[in-house]
Amino acid sequence: MSREEDALVVCEQCGKAHRWIPLEAGTMARCVRCEATLGRGHRMSVPTLLALTITAAVVFLIGISTHVLSLRLRGATEGATLPQAIVATWNEGQEIVAIVAALTALVAPALFIALRLYVLVPIVRGQVPPGFAFCIRTLRQVGRWNMVEVFTIGVLLSLVRLAGLADAAPGPGLFALGGVTLLFAAIESAGLKHLWWQV
Amino acid sequence: MRGGPAGLRADAEPGLLGCDSCGLVSANRLSAQDEGELVQHCPRCGHVLRARQPFSVQRTWACVIAAAVLYVPANVLPIMTTVSALQRERHTLIGGILELWDDGSWGLSAIVFIASIAVPVLKICVLTLLAWTTDHAPDWRRLERAKLYRLIEAVGHWSMLDVYVVVLLAATIRFGPLANVEAGPALLAFAGVVVLTMLATFAFDPRLIWNGADAAPTSFDLSDGRRTA
Repeated sequence: MSREEDALVVCEQCGKAHRWIPLEAGTMARCVRCEATLGRGHRMSVPTLLALTITAAVVFLIGISTHVLSLRLRGATEGATLPQAIVATWNEGQEIVAIVAALTALVAPALFIALRLYVLVPIVRGQVPPGFAFCIRTLRQVGRWNMVEVFTIGVLLSLVRLAGLADAAPGPGLFALGGVTLLFAAIESAGLKHLWWQV
Repeated sequence: MRGGPAGLRADAEPGLLGCDSCGLVSANRLSAQDEGELVQHCPRCGHVLRARQPFSVQRTWACVIAAAVLYVPANVLPIMTTVSALQRERHTLIGGILELWDDGSWGLSAIVFIASIAVPVLKICVLTLLAWTTDHAPDWRRLERAKLYRLIEAVGHWSMLDVYVVVLLAATIRFGPLANVEAGPALLAFAGVVVLTMLATFAFDPRLIWNGADAAPTSFDLSDGRRTA
């Protein structure tokens, strides 16, 4: 089903109905009443989206398995990966903060990638995966709670605050998470609803 | 099917419902009285279709009030304790920002101030305004209120910044008595404020801003929404 057959679009923000006109690439439709974005002209095909998602998966794995920052103080070196920082918070007795950090910086981005892969791989092959509707619904929630970009800026901020105290250096994980942030922005710009036009 | 043959009711407002998940537009077959008892599902993806989220204003109030209460310990209690060879110091959220300012890191100080103080306060104020005006001043500056809602929806998660910074500092500065950073009790309260204000934002249904916006609703209104950017 193509977008054109949908013919109507209702603004998510205010509920006003609009007749849909196909958009040129790079243009954006806004609600006439509340000025919220109704849709964009897409330039990204599903294979492109899949390629970006696979890239994001690889970069994210690097981002969580290598040190995001490390510091040296009088000969001793201490580095931390994202999961290590969360475990350290848990061990310090801040279990709830550790859970919140794990859900927003680790689980949400992991689901963001994993569910997209689960949906996109069969679509590229012309199939519809079981539980497609559930995946799209979950992905919408995952997108709201994904904070990998905030974590990345948090690492930068920590580096600057550490600089006065010890010899702090950014780790490969920081650059990887920066890459994940950019890839996620590109993937999210394509939206989720348009995947329904493919099935 | 309570409507006419086409399922479209002239008095239902709005007459068309868009699916939040797949975007398919369906006719609203339920009247306002039916809401709560009967639920309409999207014929394509099965997602629940509603003209307005049920108990949206109540749920928003609950989360906003809880967040406002938690905001007090988040600012009063220490968010982290630093241990150095010479002293043991407790830092509050605002104290940390002032320290950065005194050190001459004005840019950083401004970033942390915006993420940790300005954004949560803005969210609590805006959500209070939105929830209050929905019941008491529905006609007041609808477009501006809609834009305010989109603003807090977009910037809301950035207030988690300081939580991550403390988590990272506590995880890396672990050199025993020489230099150590421990997370303080305010961290939990502050994380609670961030999560609760986000829940409040998602609980508020922005369509409530437009309650009664079309004085005389027709069956449905089709407009050309195209505008190029």
